[in-house]
Amino acid sequence: MPNLLRSLRTSDEYLTGALDSAFPAADNPWRHLGSLAFLCLVIAVVTGTVAFALYDTSVAGAYESGRRLQLDPWMLGRLLRGLHRYASDGFMLLSLLHLVREAARGHYGGVRWFSWISGVPLLWLLWIAGLTGFWLLWDARALFSVTATAEWLQVLPIASDVLARNFLTANALNDRFFSLIVFMHIGIPLFLLAGVWIHVQRVSHVRIWPPRALTVGTVAVFSVMALVVPAESLGPADSGHIAATLSLDWFYLFIHPLVDLVSAQGAWLLALAGTLLLCVLPFVPGLQGLRAAQSASLPAIVDLNNCNGCSRCVADCPFGAVVMVPRTDQLHHRQQAAVITDLCAACGICVGSCPSSTPFRRIEDIVSGIELPDAPVADLRRQLQQKLAALTGPMKIMVFSCRQASDWRAFADASTAVLPLECAGMLPPSFVEYATRLGADGVVIAGCRECDCEFRLGDRWVQDRLSGAREPRLRAAAPRDRIAVVWAGSQRQLLTETIDGLRFRLKSGMRLPDSQTINAQDAPLHEPHDD
Amino acid sequence: MSDGVRSGALRYVLQVLAYGAFAAVIAYFSTSPPYRLRGDNDALVKLSFSHSAQLVQACRERSEAELAKLAPNMRTKMDCPRQRADVLLELDMDDKPLYRIKTPPTGLRQDGAATVYRRLDIPAGRHVFRARLADGPDGIFHFAREVDLNLAPGQVLIVDFLTSEGGFVFIHG
Repeated sequence: MPNLLRSLRTSDEYLTGALDSAFPAADNPWRHLGSLAFLCLVIAVVTGTVAFALYDTSVAGAYESGRRLQLDPWMLGRLLRGLHRYASDGFMLLSLLHLVREAARGHYGGVRWFSWISGVPLLWLLWIAGLTGFWLLWDARALFSVTATAEWLQVLPIASDVLARNFLTANALNDRFFSLIVFMHIGIPLFLLAGVWIHVQRVSHVRIWPPRALTVGTVAVFSVMALVVPAESLGPADSGHIAATLSLDWFYLFIHPLVDLVSAQGAWLLALAGTLLLCVLPFVPGLQGLRAAQSASLPAIVDLNNCNGCSRCVADCPFGAVVMVPRTDQLHHRQQAAVITDLCAACGICVGSCPSSTPFRRIEDIVSGIELPDAPVADLRRQLQQKLAALTGPMKIMVFSCRQASDWRAFADASTAVLPLECAGMLPPSFVEYATRLGADGVVIAGCRECDCEFRLGDRWVQDRLSGAREPRLRAAAPRDRIAVVWAGSQRQLLTETIDGLRFRLKSGMRLPDSQTINAQDAPLHEPHDD
Repeated sequence: MSDGVRSGALRYVLQVLAYGAFAAVIAYFSTSPPYRLRGDNDALVKLSFSHSAQLVQACRERSEAELAKLAPNMRTKMDCPRQRADVLLELDMDDKPLYRIKTPPTGLRQDGAATVYRRLDIPAGRHVFRARLADGPDGIFHFAREVDLNLAPGQVLIVDFLTSEGGFVFIHG
């Protein structure tokens, strides 16, 4: 299993990189699979609502109402049906890809277990919602699917009578069947919407919608598909005849061939085993995520003597693990930060946001208002001082590297010191300026691939803090042309090139225009991705 | 054309390709590959019934001694065991057995209907079907029917058993 996850992670990085060459990093659809899936759900709900107004919930009228839409002379019905169908297919495909990507990145354990577990029933709900949608059309495919589903359900001890007998002849069915299916097809997506809300409860700054460019692109693609490859009904349901072959929508109707292949009991076993595996994955020892070795694991702690209740840590925490509560000491501030330890990922982003995390403080053992017990700010300052003092080569470069990205040890040499951090977002901007004061000629901040921060928001906050868009800001007087930021992830070559490039630039005295300082890559500020 | 414009144009081309690949996957798997439901020259028999068989034991009158042993509120004169007999069904095609089953009644007390649902692929063409059903404790086939049918490929023959119709019903589209 770990090998499988590692292979998936390598494939994920390859795909992410490949799509980064087509899309701007912030608009890379591979990073927005969850929000794109939600967009598909919304398209399906909106088009389904209109279609329901035109649908006839009767045995005699169900098929014809679908055909009428299909034959609408203005092609609006074709557009409506196509959008509904293809968005539903996209919903299933993107949801599965979202699941695989998050699994590949180890985002099922630790503080993410709740999002992972709460996503599992959503898969069942979306599948049932889609499956029932095919029955409403009451064509040959619907009759086959509903009969096959009844046969599959029959192996469960839920009914004493034979469910499939309800579809044996045309006379066996009445209009109430369609009322029931409409009720399910509308009701389940409502549960889905509620489920999505629960699914994202434990992440902050959640972006439920994909970027505008992707939204427009996706709707346009579905619209073109709807018009060019219309989603059409097959012939009307006929219990007296069975076709030799049937066109299936494999995104939802895969269950019927699966049942034929492995038997009804086998399919139930597979479905339940798959569900169980997904549910226990976060709790399997040795599989709880793929975080780098030696990572901090103890949750952040608040030091009231240094907490002034500014709430920046609350604003920056990617998992909503820090909240403001009424002050419990006698200091004059109204509130204090408090860490919900179960939600804390020990990423240190809160440390990077705390105004008291500055190395310029005169006291010997500085303590920040919020600290990672495994990596206190005083230790960071001490390590920074020692590592810079130990450099002997010319043109000294200080690299602040995220542990989750490159193998940071490989870059240390006589002229390059590397200070590993839990996340690039853990770095208070004042440390950058402090490094230059201690003799670093240049500073490199390295993290996960752009928009792929292991802790969701680290790269965004670093960009915002350095550009002055977010507190704590890099001071205006800081030497920005001696700073490079690179979102290299595991691309060692890119990090090496950035370090060498900065060194060359500093040696040659080359000054970059303001727009190109700090960012090694052309990286616009972006919204968080959907994990 | 500058490098910037060229690289921008290339990006748009790659985006179109990415959207195209996404659309192609969805368009293809929304209808394909077609799933084979039967052989080209096959017809289908759907054998199904839901039938309450006879009671295993007939009602009998309780003796005074037996009644005295029962609680006062349970002293009904007639004792009618609820258990029903198994249903035996035999379906032959062209004088050869096509399907045989002995199915018990449903329910914890075995007092419900016996149910059967089977799909049977057969070659299309002219066939003689003979169905027999025994629903009593004696196991004797009290119900039987024989039909001679010509089934086209893909035609579905439904073999049902309805007491209200007097026994076996053969429905073919």
